[in-house]
Amino acid sequence: MTSSKTIVLRSSDGATFEVDEAVALHSLMIKHRIETGGADSTTIDVPEVTGNTLSKVIEYCKKHVEAPNSDDLKSFDTDFVKVDQAVLCHLAKASYYMNIKGLLDLSSKTIADMFKGKTVEQIRETFHIKNDFTPEEEEELRKENSWNLFV
Amino acid sequence: METRIDFLEWLEPDMAFKILSCLDDSADLVRASAVSRYWQKIVVSNGLSKQLCMSTFPQLACITHVVGPSHENSSERDHRAYASLFRALTSFPLTYCIADPVSASSTDNYPQESIMNTLDPRDTIRSRGSYWSSKGSNDPETLIYSLTANICVITEINLHPFQALFQFDFPIYSSRFVRFRMGHPKSCNELNYDFVDAQECADGKFIWTYTSQMFPVIQQNRLQRFKLPEPVICIGGYLQVELLGRVQKQASDDKYYFCVAHVQAIGRQLSPAFSVEFSEPSNNVSLKYDVEKFGLTVSNRQNASLSTGLLPVQPPRQLAWGNLQDFMQIVEAHDDGVEYDVWVDELDPIL
Repeated sequence: MTSSKTIVLRSSDGATFEVDEAVALHSLMIKHRIETGGADSTTIDVPEVTGNTLSKVIEYCKKHVEAPNSDDLKSFDTDFVKVDQAVLCHLAKASYYMNIKGLLDLSSKTIADMFKGKTVEQIRETFHIKNDFTPEEEEELRKENSWNLFV
Repeated sequence: METRIDFLEWLEPDMAFKILSCLDDSADLVRASAVSRYWQKIVVSNGLSKQLCMSTFPQLACITHVVGPSHENSSERDHRAYASLFRALTSFPLTYCIADPVSASSTDNYPQESIMNTLDPRDTIRSRGSYWSSKGSNDPETLIYSLTANICVITEINLHPFQALFQFDFPIYSSRFVRFRMGHPKSCNELNYDFVDAQECADGKFIWTYTSQMFPVIQQNRLQRFKLPEPVICIGGYLQVELLGRVQKQASDDKYYFCVAHVQAIGRQLSPAFSVEFSEPSNNVSLKYDVEKFGLTVSNRQNASLSTGLLPVQPPRQLAWGNLQDFMQIVEAHDDGVEYDVWVDELDPIL
């Protein structure tokens, strides 16, 4: 009988999560840390990610490692990213640091889909972005992009 | 008042690049580049418009540089040119793109059976067949045409095999397969020659940068549609139609022929907003972008459906019999000086 090794992941705010090693290895960053870690590689610190986000990331990895060929994987992914904007951005950043390609692609695409078809002003509103162009620059941009129904 | 943090700046630059690279429409990229300075920097300095064009239309890879308004720096110029190019490639109006014939690999009776006839959609004009015929042989044949612009995107090519209703059993001289190529001339000087009149094949004068799959042709007297699996950009403005596999012998001489009544290519022509220039001998291909003409094309766009009024040769309009002079002009314009005797001979087997 093979014993499945577990790894403890510790978030930036001290929360700890025990996960199967196979699940943890879904993150290439953790895989690298384990392989180069040495003796005390059962607890891995992930200071770039908070507890809330880390718990969601682990949920993603569990599903993808334990049932990679399941029919409902696609609907799992679709539902997984139905979260509010802030959570989505934190997930994207975490997937980047933890080097989880699937989650990185999924969250990037979801964020990009949020700007499709929106006007410039709508994009700024949705993502709380400050317009730092001068009025003259804005006018210039408007003129040059008028074929695009620049708004 | 809440502080506004630009989430894209909060993410790593690599991530910002990745997210903006997911946009698959140049209109979204242009809007993204107008949101803030940081967003503009990510879109413009990483050439995202160019990246989108290249990944959607791989034929563009041969373009070495863009020639456009000189006041801009090269990243800005590329950004604007490629964003406009994407828009042109996906939404300029569809039209018929064949302009003129260039050569046929062989012609049986010239000029009665010249490739020129394939520009006219009719297969019979004033009771005479209007078609191109190859010589009798077993070889593939090619028809080469120039397109209406030296950069177009072609979505489908249609071909009408000719049925000889003046021959016993009404044979249809189709081919087994058809294949298409697109490209540019090796050097522009080489085309200052009337290959059609000289009845010479101009194949060797071209570099074909795109070759399609082989499409099966049905032995039927109708316009057959060959939709390209993805729209293809023709850089250079020349199309070759290759016919392969003979199926029909002519009873009188037991030889295999190909005969085609009509060829048409449907797509979007990108001129005058865009054109390409090949510099010899370095093989640099530059894309020229005219901002004003682009703006005009976009604002003049009509959503009219493709009408035969756009074909290079059109059936004459309905005659108003009251205007005899018009009638005479039309008759003279279509008179190709063929001796009527030729047609009588071909009717002999039936008589």
